[in-house]
Amino acid sequence: MGESVGMNNEKLIELRNISKSFDGEQILKSINLDIHKKEFITLLGPSGCGKTTTLRIIAGFVTPDEGEVIFEGKKINDLPPHKRNVNTVFQRYALFPHLNVYENIAFGLRLAKTPDEEIRTRVSEMLSLVNLRGFEKRDVTSLSGGQQQRVAIARALINRPEVLLLDEPLGALDLKLRKDMQVELKRMQRETGITFIYVTHDQEEALSMSDTVVVMANGSIQQIGTPEKIYNEPENAFVADFIGESNIVNGTMIKDYTVSFAKQVFTCEDAGFEPNEPVDVVVRPEDIDIVPLDKAMLTGQVTAVTFKGDYYEVIVDIDHFKWMIETTDRVEVGQTLGISIDPYEIQVMKKSEFSGMFGDYSTFSDEIEHLSDVETEETK
Amino acid sequence: MTKKARAPLLSKVYTFFIYFLLYLPIAVMILFSFNDSKSMTNFTGFSLRWYKELFVNGKAFEALKYSLIIALLSAIVATLIGTMAAYGIHYMRKKALRRAVTSVTNIPMMNPDIVTGISMLLLFAFIQLILGLQHSLLGFGTLLIAHITFNLPYVILSVLPKLRQMDPSLSEAALDLGCTPVKAFLKVELPAILPGVLSGAVMAFTLSLDDFVISNFTIGNSFQTLPILIYSMTKREVTPDMNAICSIVFVVIFILLLLSNLSGGENRDRSAFSEKLRRHKKGIAIAVAGVLTAVTAGIVVLFLLVPPRTEKVLNVYNWGEYISDGSDDSLDTVKAFEEWYYEEYGERVKVNYTTYASNEDLYNKMSSGAAEYDVIFPSDYMLAKLRDEGYLAPLDYSEIPNYENIYDEFKGLFYDPDERYSVPYTYGVIGLIYNGAKVDEADVTGWELVQNEAYRDKILQIDNPRDAFGIAMYALGIDVNTTDPAEWDRALQFLSDQKPIVQSYVMDEVYNKMESGEAYVAPYYAGDFLFMYENNEDLAFYQPEATNFFIDAMCIPANPTRDDETYLIANRFINYMLSEEPAVANAEMICYASPNRTVVENEEYQEYMADIHEDAMEILYPEDVDFREEYGKYCFRGLDKDTDKYMNGLWDKLKNTTTEEKTDITNYIALGLLVLIVAALVFFAIRKKRRERYYTEKAVAKV
Repeated sequence: MGESVGMNNEKLIELRNISKSFDGEQILKSINLDIHKKEFITLLGPSGCGKTTTLRIIAGFVTPDEGEVIFEGKKINDLPPHKRNVNTVFQRYALFPHLNVYENIAFGLRLAKTPDEEIRTRVSEMLSLVNLRGFEKRDVTSLSGGQQQRVAIARALINRPEVLLLDEPLGALDLKLRKDMQVELKRMQRETGITFIYVTHDQEEALSMSDTVVVMANGSIQQIGTPEKIYNEPENAFVADFIGESNIVNGTMIKDYTVSFAKQVFTCEDAGFEPNEPVDVVVRPEDIDIVPLDKAMLTGQVTAVTFKGDYYEVIVDIDHFKWMIETTDRVEVGQTLGISIDPYEIQVMKKSEFSGMFGDYSTFSDEIEHLSDVETEETK
Repeated sequence: MTKKARAPLLSKVYTFFIYFLLYLPIAVMILFSFNDSKSMTNFTGFSLRWYKELFVNGKAFEALKYSLIIALLSAIVATLIGTMAAYGIHYMRKKALRRAVTSVTNIPMMNPDIVTGISMLLLFAFIQLILGLQHSLLGFGTLLIAHITFNLPYVILSVLPKLRQMDPSLSEAALDLGCTPVKAFLKVELPAILPGVLSGAVMAFTLSLDDFVISNFTIGNSFQTLPILIYSMTKREVTPDMNAICSIVFVVIFILLLLSNLSGGENRDRSAFSEKLRRHKKGIAIAVAGVLTAVTAGIVVLFLLVPPRTEKVLNVYNWGEYISDGSDDSLDTVKAFEEWYYEEYGERVKVNYTTYASNEDLYNKMSSGAAEYDVIFPSDYMLAKLRDEGYLAPLDYSEIPNYENIYDEFKGLFYDPDERYSVPYTYGVIGLIYNGAKVDEADVTGWELVQNEAYRDKILQIDNPRDAFGIAMYALGIDVNTTDPAEWDRALQFLSDQKPIVQSYVMDEVYNKMESGEAYVAPYYAGDFLFMYENNEDLAFYQPEATNFFIDAMCIPANPTRDDETYLIANRFINYMLSEEPAVANAEMICYASPNRTVVENEEYQEYMADIHEDAMEILYPEDVDFREEYGKYCFRGLDKDTDKYMNGLWDKLKNTTTEEKTDITNYIALGLLVLIVAALVFFAIRKKRRERYYTEKAVAKV
């Protein structure tokens, strides 16, 4: 993972075979994860996948049942939160309502008995970092959500932690503000050089900010990689479906570089499977080309067209499997459509526990609902 | 902030009306605490005399002091324990357990006070038994424990919601920023729940301050709190100094609430002052904590450690307002006794003087063994009952030489024929009190006045079966101690006939009703007549031929754990009260007749009584009456169980027949409420079902 900017290969945190259960329900199943210095790493997954629990284990609020948490080479499983050199930005900010902005930010320094003079300089540094100069005396309850979030970040960063943990910090903000804050967070991370471990269920946020994305589901890590790798080369149906839109169909790997699906044989760029191994095949909706019927690899009936602004989202029924295609061409419902897929647009994946669960757009609307489920807190 | 809609006039008026009703009684009380005269009905002028009297007469003030100390201590301890408990409950992992614990905590709050009080009493008695202690445990410590106990659920209940409102990540954020768990609680969680903690403390304080029922069971005999003192003082009437003390309590609580509201208010617009406060809050917090700790520690040391007292203690239990206590520049006979005893015998005696409101209260205290007393003042029939049941110790008459001051006609009466257990304290007679301006003198011929149609709805009757039946029996010429049911039935007939013209059945209210002229005729005690006469000079007293005489006497209760010296002091106390100076002071204060020759023959006393009413001496001590003979004929003796039961049965019948209409109305009201409740339940059940159906249909349609 040396390809990302700003991070080096020194391991800061290592999670080794971490498992955790609450009330008999297994939340984490033997997690292994390396986090490097100066890395912006995002734990991404739907609610209940175990990402927040992983974060809380790193912060020290949760003790793992099994496995080791290693910080700079030392096992810290039993180190209480206040002795760890990490700080957290909480989902709902958790600002101290009885203190003003200045005192909230100075909280950690005051505990460390830092001289007043130094506190003053560092608080004002932090206030400029988060663009809140002049807010010192304000009551935190009188601030907007975005401002409160900045105070929470300043309060955590002022202690110069080696790691900043962010638990869905933008979840409560509106879309516009969220986009701005994404950019700002990225800037802060670059300026401070602090490792950020970021938890979110928003794949777009994860892709646009992270050096490394860790996709989690059902208490296990599904894939670790750069945003590009995660998007272009998903390792299983869950990742393919959770990151962006995907058509996932059953296929057979006839031999290296040849795969069959939808009753047709395609050339692809994947190799290393058993001959005739059943596989999941992923094709992104934007990677499908609409072609005249005589040049079509597959043909089908258009069942729905949705206008999305800069493109149309088209559902095509090809042999009773509903494909999603994104196109700028105008098509009509009922029309017969011919499509073509280039070899480099085909991603072949091994069969997994998620095979057959996603990728067919016949129950499209329901699936949208499922995806947009707002993550609820995992804390117990 | 959006503009608030203007409240329409009607709702303003309504709000005003509600507050008016809520605060009117208190306003009246405060007003009358400044009244120049004793009257509860006429405001004669502004004066601070009742406040002054409070400071001069230590009794009420001392009770207030105890009340405040108990309230403060129990509030502090209950707040500490309750906050910790709420914290523990809030962080319980298992939901079911948490809910169970919360409900268990709430039960004592729903529990009637009387149950809590009795169970506390039993617990302390049980502990005493287990520890094998000879003396009752009841006292400051048990009262404090009881108050802490009943305060706890209120504190927990006011802290829990604040904990629930608190963002659960607050303490994690504090830990995350470097707080130890203890620091996280003090620096972050405590400030967040502080309004709940404070309001819990204030609630505990006020609840403790006005508790009567539980205190009554757990207080013992060594001191009184304000509510207990006030209750025992209402035996005669609420005196104006009670108004004064209640006003003080109200103002104290009012200020307290005001302060707690101000401190818990919105902190959005911080004034410069509060900003300053905040800057110095560490110093202030330390100062406040220091002062609180010091006060608490000081009080605890004072009350729990110091009282290994070396001085002897005498526990005296008397009727409320039944001794000269130093008010109105009178002699404080209890204090005088303590001084006299020290001068006479060179030893310090501390008298714990507490009071009760009725013979029955006294009997309950005696028979429950809840507290141990050294001198009590039962009335004749109760004295006989206590003696028969073995609750009295014989007196040592050799230590009571002043017994010779008692006229012979008051010695060896039925309740103590061999003169072993008692020394008479006061005696009295029931007669007719009437308003001379409204009642024709010609009608005042005897008990038949209470049946005179001309004064319909202006007649009062005593609200107590023994006295009311007594009056009927005197009127009919029946022996008041008869065991013949037929005779009791006749008396009932008399009362039933009288019922339609009776304004109401009263005890203490007789004062206000007669003084204000609301009623014209009331049978009551001669001594009380003199009190009323001070406030309404139209009132007059008539003593019918056959009437009730009663005697209240001093006795020493049997107590095997009392040492000989205390027994000796008790006898000397009785002896002292029989000597001229205290006896006169008491007689002047109480206004009942004294059986003591040094009183009756004292000229200063005679003048004092004449000042109150020119015929006072004649009314209290009628010359043509042979007391011994009249008393033997007409006094109340203890009734046997069957007769007592029969009498109470008839009394219920009498009261119920008169209120027949009322009962019907209450029945209808109860029925109406029941129907309403059932209708509401049915309505809600139907609505719930409809909603459920609606949603399931919607869900089905969606699929």
